[in-house]
Amino acid sequence: MIVARGLTKTYGPKTAVDHLSFTVEPGRVTGFLGPNGAGKSTTMRMILGLDRPTSGSVTVNGRSYAASPAPLREVGALLEARALHPGRSARDHLRWLAASNGIPRARIDEVLDLVGLEAVADQRVGRFSLGMGQRLGIAVALLGDPPVVVLDEPVNGLDPEGIRWVRRLARELAGQGRTVLVSSHLMSEMALTADHLIVVGRGRMLADCSMSQFIADHAASYVRVRSPRSAEVETLLRQHGLDVDRHDDELRVQGLDAAGIGELVGRAGLHLHELTLVQSSLEDAFMTLTADSVEYAAHPTETAGALR
Amino acid sequence: MSATPTASAAPPRPASTPGPDVVRLDPNRHVPGVRRPGFAQVLHAEWVKFWTVRSTGWSLGLLFLLGAGLTTLICWAVAEDLAAGDTGESPASFITWGLLFSQLTALALGTLVVTSEYGTGMIRASVTAVPRRGRVVAAKALLLTGVLFVAGVVTAVIGYLGGNWFLDREGVGLALSEDGVLRALLGNGLYLAGLGLFALALGLLIRHTAAALTIGMALVLVVGNLAYALPGTWGEWVAKLMPGNAGGSVAQVAPFSGGAVLAPWTGFAVFCAEVAVLLLVAVLAFRRRDA
Repeated sequence: MIVARGLTKTYGPKTAVDHLSFTVEPGRVTGFLGPNGAGKSTTMRMILGLDRPTSGSVTVNGRSYAASPAPLREVGALLEARALHPGRSARDHLRWLAASNGIPRARIDEVLDLVGLEAVADQRVGRFSLGMGQRLGIAVALLGDPPVVVLDEPVNGLDPEGIRWVRRLARELAGQGRTVLVSSHLMSEMALTADHLIVVGRGRMLADCSMSQFIADHAASYVRVRSPRSAEVETLLRQHGLDVDRHDDELRVQGLDAAGIGELVGRAGLHLHELTLVQSSLEDAFMTLTADSVEYAAHPTETAGALR
Repeated sequence: MSATPTASAAPPRPASTPGPDVVRLDPNRHVPGVRRPGFAQVLHAEWVKFWTVRSTGWSLGLLFLLGAGLTTLICWAVAEDLAAGDTGESPASFITWGLLFSQLTALALGTLVVTSEYGTGMIRASVTAVPRRGRVVAAKALLLTGVLFVAGVVTAVIGYLGGNWFLDREGVGLALSEDGVLRALLGNGLYLAGLGLFALALGLLIRHTAAALTIGMALVLVVGNLAYALPGTWGEWVAKLMPGNAGGSVAQVAPFSGGAVLAPWTGFAVFCAEVAVLLLVAVLAFRRRDA
């Protein structure tokens, strides 16, 4: 379990993480979501004792990371940026890590096998592809068989097969009762892995809820209604207390499902040309939620103008 | 489960609310080994790191080649003039001459032990594996000084044997039993070990290979020699106290006539104190800073 209380990190005038409080529970995958620059990596670095919080605290299994006698046995971490010497072989990298935490050498072959790198274990990691590097990072994270696993953007650079493998792995680790925190800037990725979501933007907490709660709260849905006599339909639906938005000849109705709307309109003897349930994707929900906190936003209209 | 940090120690929830989160994982359940790793484990890890990068082999190979090789070469070149008394210098000043160059490799090795980790991002892995940063530095320092001491002594002894063979032919050889010879051979190891620590401290403070190396070499070689140009006794003292000049005298049987140096052990004590202060500042900075 990871517990953050009022976690804050400032770099000069810039606040990277702003009073974050959350609990990452065991037995489920918690997605840590936010646009680039939202403070995800900084938060993870503070969890691992790499960065010192400006104020607030974060504990892993009830104590600060640095207080653990053998941290690799307690928390396994894959950091976004590579943290290895390109001249060293994968096996040697795991060897020194294992030595530092008193982990026997036999475990090195186990994790190499687990991530599928046994064939290239003696190659220098400088020659590794991005995907192989990620696999090695995951091998490092699992070296101490830790009850808490922190993965920063684990699918970066992986091929589709690798991405599926990481998703399965994250679910499996959580299923074994471990605490799993996975960061991503892709909502679509989280939708497939996470049970619980922590969404941040500009260092602030935007949402901390279960995936289903998030969908219910933020993924807007409405029924699209088209009719040759749309003015009459609009009046009718409003009379029944429904929310109606007019977009040209299309009505967007909230407050009743498609079947109910169809019956209402039918009983009034009006015809419909379209009756569709429209559900905005999680991606859209995430975009809406974080729209104000995107640090580097592209402005497509301006660009288009310049090109013309 | 409640949000308090102690909740993980609470008994499993009643059967009415089953879920995978009631599983308590023992960190040592599948992976045996040392349960409370200490300094020995950290030292072992640093040992593996040290010998699994190419720069270590290169640095130590060069240290030996420059130290022993150049000493032999200079003795061969000057033996005749020394015998004729044309140089105005004592043969004792040449018997560890290669140190002038081999000290560069000790600086490089000491710097790289730290800055290569910063350059590659390895430092993050290092302090996640061992969050007690002081322990990381202590292990690095112990390993580095041990290796440099042995390399320095071996290099000096081989250089002595090679160089003295040429000096002996001209009748100006130095017996091991002569005053200061053994001390200088041992002093080579001591000085290079200290210089490695000096570079390690600079590396920790500067965190950038090229910058740390440049500053280290400039302080030891350039500034150290330029200081002799300073006027008066004040200038002479500054020169004598520069780390390279103070520490180097223990590694020479007799100094060259050009510059004044402190007595061997006095100089080495001053050098050690300087290294200790720099290392202390570096460790304090390393412990405070974000990795």
